[in-house]
Amino acid sequence: MSMSHPVPTAPLVVACLRVTDLRPEVDLLTGSVRRDRLGVGLSAPDASALEHALRIAEAWSGRVLAVAAGPRSVETVLRDAVALGASVLRIPWDDDGSDHGFAAELAGDEQSLARAIGAALVPFGTPDLVVCGDRSVDRGTGALPAFLAHELHAAQALGLVALSPGAADGTSRRVLDAERRLDAGWREQLVVPLPAVCSVEGAGVRLRRAPLSGVLAAESAVIPTSALPPRPAAGTGRGTGPVLVGATRVFTPRTRVLPAPESPDPRIRLLALTGALVAHDPPTVVGPVGAAEAADALLDFLVRHGYLEEPPVAGSPTGAGDR
Amino acid sequence: MAESADFDAVVVGAGPAGSSAALALARAGRSVVMVERGPFPGSKNVYGGVVYGRVLDDIIPAWWSEVPVERWVVRRSTMMMTEDQSLAIDYRSHAWGVAPYNGMTTVRSHFDSWLAGKATEAGARLVTSTVATGLVRDGAGRVIGVRTDRDGAELHAPVVIACDGVNSLLAKEAGLLPHAEASHYTLGVKEVLDLPAEVINDRFGVRGHEGVDIEILGCTRGIPGGGFLYTNAETVSIGVVASLPHLSDAKVRPEELIADLKAHPSIAPLLRGATLREYAAHLIPEGGYDTMPPLATDGMLVAGDSAAMTLAAGLWLEGVNFAIGSGYAAGRAADRAVTAGDCSARGLASYRADLEQQFVLADHKRLRKAPALVLSERIQQRYPGLLCDLAEGMFTVTNPSPKAGGLRITRAAAAKHGVKLRELAADTLRGLRIFG
Repeated sequence: MSMSHPVPTAPLVVACLRVTDLRPEVDLLTGSVRRDRLGVGLSAPDASALEHALRIAEAWSGRVLAVAAGPRSVETVLRDAVALGASVLRIPWDDDGSDHGFAAELAGDEQSLARAIGAALVPFGTPDLVVCGDRSVDRGTGALPAFLAHELHAAQALGLVALSPGAADGTSRRVLDAERRLDAGWREQLVVPLPAVCSVEGAGVRLRRAPLSGVLAAESAVIPTSALPPRPAAGTGRGTGPVLVGATRVFTPRTRVLPAPESPDPRIRLLALTGALVAHDPPTVVGPVGAAEAADALLDFLVRHGYLEEPPVAGSPTGAGDR
Repeated sequence: MAESADFDAVVVGAGPAGSSAALALARAGRSVVMVERGPFPGSKNVYGGVVYGRVLDDIIPAWWSEVPVERWVVRRSTMMMTEDQSLAIDYRSHAWGVAPYNGMTTVRSHFDSWLAGKATEAGARLVTSTVATGLVRDGAGRVIGVRTDRDGAELHAPVVIACDGVNSLLAKEAGLLPHAEASHYTLGVKEVLDLPAEVINDRFGVRGHEGVDIEILGCTRGIPGGGFLYTNAETVSIGVVASLPHLSDAKVRPEELIADLKAHPSIAPLLRGATLREYAAHLIPEGGYDTMPPLATDGMLVAGDSAAMTLAAGLWLEGVNFAIGSGYAAGRAADRAVTAGDCSARGLASYRADLEQQFVLADHKRLRKAPALVLSERIQQRYPGLLCDLAEGMFTVTNPSPKAGGLRITRAAAAKHGVKLRELAADTLRGLRIFG
């Protein structure tokens, strides 16, 4: 459904939530992950993000918008946010429910996701604050808040253990007071200007319980869905886009056939086999380059030495799955 | 004043009984809300058994085509064992492996969610992660709702159906459940073990979605109870059920009983290489018909485990089907009472009458003496060894000595286990009277 919302003037606090199966089953042998829609929920950092958003919006007399990207199953969690009085928005995002989907998600294209979230927020007005869970605590790349800050032209503060409306500095400008951990038990105090994207740890606050009336109302609430964002074409990002991850499987290096050493002396043959006296290729220095180029260089190395198949031509149907 | 919401009925618990009650009410056009303490229906349930779905035939036509099943049970084995012997009666039926099936193993978090989904599809409301902390009564003492742990908010309705499981706090508060008598309860403990589906198929002699149910007697160190082993799709459930006071007196930890069972020479080969996925324990109300509470009071009904409707009668070990049957009957009785405008105990009395007409109370009543017999000292501690020795005597080839006669072997086995033949005859007669 496409969005068309009036843009009120009250401050907008967005809780950007990552909904996930909190109890996935991992096959220790193959690494495949089995997820269950019944286990979907918020990790502690994401629950903390929602609570921070509610508290700050209350202090500012503002609005809270809880946003989650994912399949329809994320609506369970968004209903919980509705029960707490937040507006919600689901952004349709990739999840085919398979192991491959999970593996891809781990190294997902968070830049595209940030763009999609940024675009979906436009009808609601410019957010004064976006609060995310600290992704790297549980999984994921932890890059989304940074990409989101870039999209929204906002300041970014990450790894926060406390976040609250800041004291007025003599002007009408709002700021946030934040804290984050340093080594040896020290803490760093930050003054975060707005607009900002802040990611918080799952500590310090506990997500409040919704009132019964809210739960009953949320049960039948319609969860708005943003328009489907454009997806990057598979296999077109090499060198500039994200690294694509294929299906997980047990890795078995290909057998390489080596010619038998030609010498009547067993010792010489043994030396030839071990390569002990053979001059080796010098180390390959790549860089300084970006992450994508470095990944490409690694993949090229693996292909060159026979550990991976030659990648298909860009744009072919199997391009994404083979890498 | 605490906030409140009004419905025609409030159902506490979204297990099989609660969801069935809500389904019946919703289909009758009643506004009904289920209050579930877990984050989703089934999340709090522990179950290691077989679900017999015949009760669903009239409630959800062709239920087998959509129910979340692990395996359809085609082999039912009753095994008696001593430390190093076992004797099994093994029955296999091809008919149990095709529609409309007989029994199935299932994961309760999936099964309960599915059944609750039927209720919500029919119009019932579901509130999860919410505990019903107590009853709300009017000035005359009639139950008119429940209080919740969400800021004390209340749900009001002329009928409350308590399906909050064994040791129901609401039924106790209503004065329906007496002070808990430990001898009426057993403790069920189970382990779920991972095994590849192909290995399960090979070891248990099944294929595809076929499954096995093994009930075991004599594996609990003499503590009244029994053991079980069920095959799921890619796991097996193994566990024991033990009488609560006897378990306490024996100073044995329940996991030790499971370890014994897993190490038994008849069981260990079936589980070789299996890895532990989960361990769980739960109380089971096995007292039977004579320990059931009154099923209704003014404004309230009890169903399922709350009303001790687990059938533990040796040959038959059933619970979920009784929960579904009683829950659905409770929902229909509540609808009739609301229609009549009389939700007093008298107005809700059709619930018990309905249950007496169907299997729920009819089976319990007929088998009311079964729990005492099944959990008796001779059945639990002497007969498994007696029967195993009898089988050993019959099947051991004693050449060059001539074969002993059956009566002589029986006498020798009975004497070894301290059983007099007249006791054997008396128990046989007692069993025939109960089960015949």
